Amino acid sequence: MGDLTPADKKGIGNLDDPGLPFNYSEREYGTVPIDETRARFQWVSEVAYKNVHRIVARGYDTTELMEEGYGMTDVLFVDFQARIPTVKEDQMLNYVMIMALEDGLSAPAAMSRLVAQSKTFLTQACGASIHAFGHAYGAYSAFGNRLLDELKAGRAEGLDMDAIAQRIVDNNLNDESLGVSNLMLKDPAAKRMIARAEKLGVAGEHVAIMKLIVEKAQAASDEPVDIDLLGAMGAVMMDLGFTAEATWAILAVTRSFAAGAHFIEEVERNEYRRLGQALTPPEAYDGEADRPVPSLPERAASTESALSADLDEWARSQEERKSVWGSGYSIHEEIEDPSKKTGIKSVGKKL
Amino acid sequence: MQRNPDIERKTAISYRTEEKTVLRGYNLSDLAEEGYSFTDAMFVLFQNRIPTEAEEKMLRYEMGVFLEHSMSPSTAGAIGVSIGRPNLTSAIAASISTFGGVHGPGAAHGYMMKKYLKRAHEEGKTIEEIAKVLVDDYMDNGTPVMGMGQPQHTDSDPRAEPIHLKQEELGLNGVYLRLQRAVEKYFHARRKAEGRRYVGVNVVGAGNTALCDIGFAPNAAWCIGSVCRGFSCAAHALFNMKRGRAWAASKSEPMVQMLDLSMIKYVGPADRKVPKQSERQEYAIQQKEEGEYKKWVI
Repeated sequence: MGDLTPADKKGIGNLDDPGLPFNYSEREYGTVPIDETRARFQWVSEVAYKNVHRIVARGYDTTELMEEGYGMTDVLFVDFQARIPTVKEDQMLNYVMIMALEDGLSAPAAMSRLVAQSKTFLTQACGASIHAFGHAYGAYSAFGNRLLDELKAGRAEGLDMDAIAQRIVDNNLNDESLGVSNLMLKDPAAKRMIARAEKLGVAGEHVAIMKLIVEKAQAASDEPVDIDLLGAMGAVMMDLGFTAEATWAILAVTRSFAAGAHFIEEVERNEYRRLGQALTPPEAYDGEADRPVPSLPERAASTESALSADLDEWARSQEERKSVWGSGYSIHEEIEDPSKKTGIKSVGKKL
Repeated sequence: MQRNPDIERKTAISYRTEEKTVLRGYNLSDLAEEGYSFTDAMFVLFQNRIPTEAEEKMLRYEMGVFLEHSMSPSTAGAIGVSIGRPNLTSAIAASISTFGGVHGPGAAHGYMMKKYLKRAHEEGKTIEEIAKVLVDDYMDNGTPVMGMGQPQHTDSDPRAEPIHLKQEELGLNGVYLRLQRAVEKYFHARRKAEGRRYVGVNVVGAGNTALCDIGFAPNAAWCIGSVCRGFSCAAHALFNMKRGRAWAASKSEPMVQMLDLSMIKYVGPADRKVPKQSERQEYAIQQKEEGEYKKWVI
């Protein structure tokens, strides 16, 4: 790579500063040779492989599965759980997915339609709709992992299901991912789903504890509450054997099919939007009043540094900056590696 | 609690009240309670109708066989995103977004078929005649015929021919299958006459044909295929998040990782000295005049 010498690299900015813990100018150029000491890179998977002639998921040839009469929902059990579901489990998954398919003009549809307005591929809009599923809307990961953690911790402490449910409610009554809320007081869909799971014989401990959580929440809440779709779908999916993350993924993707229909309808019925087209009226604005831009020579006199010299000054500035909406000072997050489970810690919680 | 829609629109797809969610006139709970399948609901969503049993079977087959495809651009996209350890949903979103003009171009194939069927109708040609026109149009222009060939399944996609057979077995062979079969016939004949190797139909050519024959418009068919793949990409991303190493560059793993430094091969300009700011203007003008940089512009 070239014929540069360390001498060519002297005198660049601060890179010769003795405070640096290394000699920058003597660092090598060129890429790293292929590592022959270890096995070459391969895509490692326990989910599926393919060769020229077959596609195999968890040991089953997928074409053979279809020819034998299995369907898409069966493959979800194969991919996520490495097993063929019972007929009733498959029926229940179909039920849950029908209920997860459409939710009207809620966030996934809105996001898909907004992307559609920019005149792009349908797939981008469907992908965008997946992002609607966080730890408030469609919070299956937060919901499910809480149940698992509380069940494990409660059992370790010798608590029974009733006590575990009570503790969950005591600590999370108003949390968006509890699965109990005032959203479904007139809509029986969530309760019907639980009843169907029990009728099919696929309801297990997650449905059981969810019913106890509903009882405890109803007793503790000042307003009427009941099981909502998050609670019903989350509990049933976990009783079908899906992990909290798999549930989150499957139901977000399920909703994305309908987001595709919303993309199509948006293109069919509405206009594309151009850069600069959307106006934000002053009535929607409550920031600083209009003010003159200082000239560059006036800059030093008209600006103030953000530096804090001591902790008192720092603490004061933290409070003051909360008044600047959009600055981020009113939010505290604990962002963890979500590899194993997600959604328990506060994400985007207001201070 | 504010419960207005997240976007104000007139929609013919669904509505939701405090009492129920209604898709194309059907209460979703009633649809599920009656025993309809998720694939039945896809017909309601995109076509405003309950399908025949044969049509439902075809879609169930199609979605099941398309869902998992091991390592393809969508899976690689999901895994690539997952190694930074964002939320799982980011990896799924990325995987669905990989479907474009080459990877699973379902809409493009559907629009191609519709365009040539329309021509046949307007020009008084048979489906077989227009199939030959289609193949000649594409091959004369040196453009790949959509629906043919797959870079990994080089002597025929394991899903494709069985989909054709299933469509015929279910009695769903409509104009799209006739066109696709005729396209394949002329495509194979022309390549053979030109002494070129056999290239089989791929899953878009077969699957999208079936989706069109059971009533899905090109974009609806594309949605079904690409979003369906999102399920398996989620599984692959989840496997990597739960069992793999973040960053994919660890030197302590027994196998070289995807982002190990030794995986980088650089083929750009040779290493060069950063010009001093005092020399910048002259240097930049000379660089533009010499024009060597142009071969690197992308």
